Amino acid sequence: MAERRKYKKRYCKYCEAKVDFIDYKDVAGLRFSLSERYKIMPRRLTGNCKRHQDMVATVIKRARAAALVPYTVTRKAVVTAPFENLK
Amino acid sequence: MRNYENLVIVRPTLTAEEIQESLKVIQEVITSNGGEIAATDDMGMRKLAYPIDKNERGFFQVIYYSAEPSVITEIERKFRLNEELLRFVTIKYDTNREITAWNELVKKAKKKAEAPKAETAPVVEEAPKAKTAPVAE
Repeated sequence: MAERRKYKKRYCKYCEAKVDFIDYKDVAGLRFSLSERYKIMPRRLTGNCKRHQDMVATVIKRARAAALVPYTVTRKAVVTAPFENLK
Repeated sequence: MRNYENLVIVRPTLTAEEIQESLKVIQEVITSNGGEIAATDDMGMRKLAYPIDKNERGFFQVIYYSAEPSVITEIERKFRLNEELLRFVTIKYDTNREITAWNELVKKAKKKAEAPKAETAPVVEEAPKAKTAPVAE
């Protein structure tokens, strides 16, 4: 049997909330589209539409440059729970 | 004139007064080049997501301003010369949608600048519990 689909296709949360602009300084809001290792979550898992996924991607990259969100998280950093430090 | 936003991170090893002074220097760079500062927003001392020049922390400030597009290169050049400045991020607000967002942000920053002395409301705002769990189950 082929591997079962783990994630359900979802509607776009940003479209539902009618988001026009995402602020890169709002780290709590960005968490939704980041994996636990701070990778950008793909569209097929979050259900974001193309337009909002593009916005999210640029915003996350800005936040990374501003040292608000890490580029990479090593095993050591995962242990110390990086998100609490970022508060 | 175009709307811009600069996030600057100042070295944490300075004292509080020195930080304020260096922030003043940074803002002067913008005003002396013909920029008009609309609002500033102190995010305060924060932990950096990754060390920059072996610093684990930094003092964040956001400056909203409008300036001529040609001036930005000069401003950034000056910023690079400043050794107290760990990192800066310049964001351009160009399209109509972005400009309205910029106006909103300026309004919010101004409100925040006035509020904290009267009441500690913004602190409550900054810690919303509506942290939606990641979609992955």
